[in-house]
Amino acid sequence: MKLRIAAVLTAVFVLPLLVRPAIATEIWIFAIFGLGANLLIGYTGLLSFGQATFFGSAAYVAGYVLKYYGLSVFAALGIGIGVGAVSAAAVGYLCVQRSGIYFIMLTFALNQLFYFVAYQWTSVTGGEDGMPGIPRPVIAGLDFKSPLLYYAFVSALFLASLWAMQRLVGSPLGKILQAIRENELRAAAVGYDVARFKLLAFVIAGAFSGLAGVLYAMLFGIVPLEAISFVFSGNVVFATLIGGSGSLYGPVIGAVVFIWLSESVSVLWERWPLLLGVAFVIVVLFLRGGVVEAWSRFIAWRMRWRSSKRAA
Amino acid sequence: MLYALMGLGLALIAGILNIPNFAHGALFAVGAYLTVTAIGAFGNFWLALALAPVGVALLGLLIEYLGIRRLYAAGHDYQLLFTFGLSLILAEAIILVWGPVGISQLPPPVLRGSVDLGFTIYPKYRLFVMSAAGLLVVGTWLFLEKTRYGAIMRAGIENREMVSLLGIDIHRLFTVAFALGAYLAGIAGALTAPIRGLSPGMGVDMLGIAFVVVALGGMGNILGAIAAGLLIGVAQAVVAAYWTEASVAVIYLVMAAVLVFRPQGLFGTR
Repeated sequence: MKLRIAAVLTAVFVLPLLVRPAIATEIWIFAIFGLGANLLIGYTGLLSFGQATFFGSAAYVAGYVLKYYGLSVFAALGIGIGVGAVSAAAVGYLCVQRSGIYFIMLTFALNQLFYFVAYQWTSVTGGEDGMPGIPRPVIAGLDFKSPLLYYAFVSALFLASLWAMQRLVGSPLGKILQAIRENELRAAAVGYDVARFKLLAFVIAGAFSGLAGVLYAMLFGIVPLEAISFVFSGNVVFATLIGGSGSLYGPVIGAVVFIWLSESVSVLWERWPLLLGVAFVIVVLFLRGGVVEAWSRFIAWRMRWRSSKRAA
Repeated sequence: MLYALMGLGLALIAGILNIPNFAHGALFAVGAYLTVTAIGAFGNFWLALALAPVGVALLGLLIEYLGIRRLYAAGHDYQLLFTFGLSLILAEAIILVWGPVGISQLPPPVLRGSVDLGFTIYPKYRLFVMSAAGLLVVGTWLFLEKTRYGAIMRAGIENREMVSLLGIDIHRLFTVAFALGAYLAGIAGALTAPIRGLSPGMGVDMLGIAFVVVALGGMGNILGAIAAGLLIGVAQAVVAAYWTEASVAVIYLVMAAVLVFRPQGLFGTR
């Protein structure tokens, strides 16, 4: 455990030396987004394909108030978290009544609803062009226009989110969610109101997504239409799965790998979603279990190799 | 009617294979593009309409045989990722082959212009599409209800283990069901091409609508998918007449409204 915390802290300090601060910031924002998604996908067993709904809604609303009402950063973050949680409550209410592939389809369809509202409501959202001109306000004399300072701010929030999520999955609530994942009927039989706990997981995941959404809007100064599109939903699911869902650090690793890869490849080739699609297919057919499992398989293989060498 | 066709194909795949087919919209788009290419190659709309969906069905056959077949035992998360990956690949392949700019396609000469129906004037091609899609929906329904293999398919929706215990090759059933679903998506794409034109994004737009149709109709319910397809189409047409901007969002709003009152869908039991 201590080792992992040390690894995360090291990563937070080393990352801005390796990549541009904007990318480093985006990685931790995506990690917050992934933490929320993983609560649903990994811990509760709800494969939501609509996480961008909460991310994007929060980004739009908080971006709008930042732009036109000049609110402070903390007010904007609070609004974003609130919008993420409320939109997740609405979507979750409709979705938790279904299960299996129909649940997945429903989260996607509702994501499309929000997407088309954002797409058509051009007077507010800017439609396809996105909503530009979102400021990064000043807190306590610190000007967040400096990329490194903003990076520090985001990483602090990321560490706080990671800590909160760790407390959450270890708490009784976290155990109940995992019980629902393992066996829904049994959890209901023991006396838990399964639908309510699923909804609660949705709201919490929505709050995390909302936080990530606001930070994203402030990072780039714009809310692009993609922020609320299924592409973002797919990306966060992919990042969670390649990291290894169901482990706390899985989505963090996934976010690092995913953003770093996508940022370095997308500048090289405009058609990079093609490669992304190929990567999805390869991961699914050959590397199921994600980076975390691939790593433990590697460790197991090395142990076997060593012991066979010793025997020889 | 086109929505019903898409929903029907997706409902078949969802019901029998129990996988979320995120590539369904991409198959629809491939159907449309193949049709345009085939019209260019043969100079004959009818031949293209006959051949292009078969091409999509073959593509579906390959996808099931090479990929999805290995994933029945895996979780939905991997099935989702796989079909979503496929849809990205197909959408990008369309851009690479046919270019990012939309293409328009005229209906065949016989079907240009409009007819006077007495109460309204309606474009001929749209009438043709409605009747063709209607025939296909009825045909698929008859196939499922009245033929032996259709009965096996319906049984597959109810209980897969039982069907395979009765000595039926369930894997072949899955392959056939996926190819049939792909065929329906492909022919929906082919019929759409002269109405809406083609663009690389057409697949995703249709995918969302197909999901709505399946969610609305009730899961694993073939008749429900047909009814929901019609309902959505009518709702969209009515709204489009008064408030064009909202005509896409209304599809999803209708779904959300229905699900508040009937979470299992219009005809669903699960």
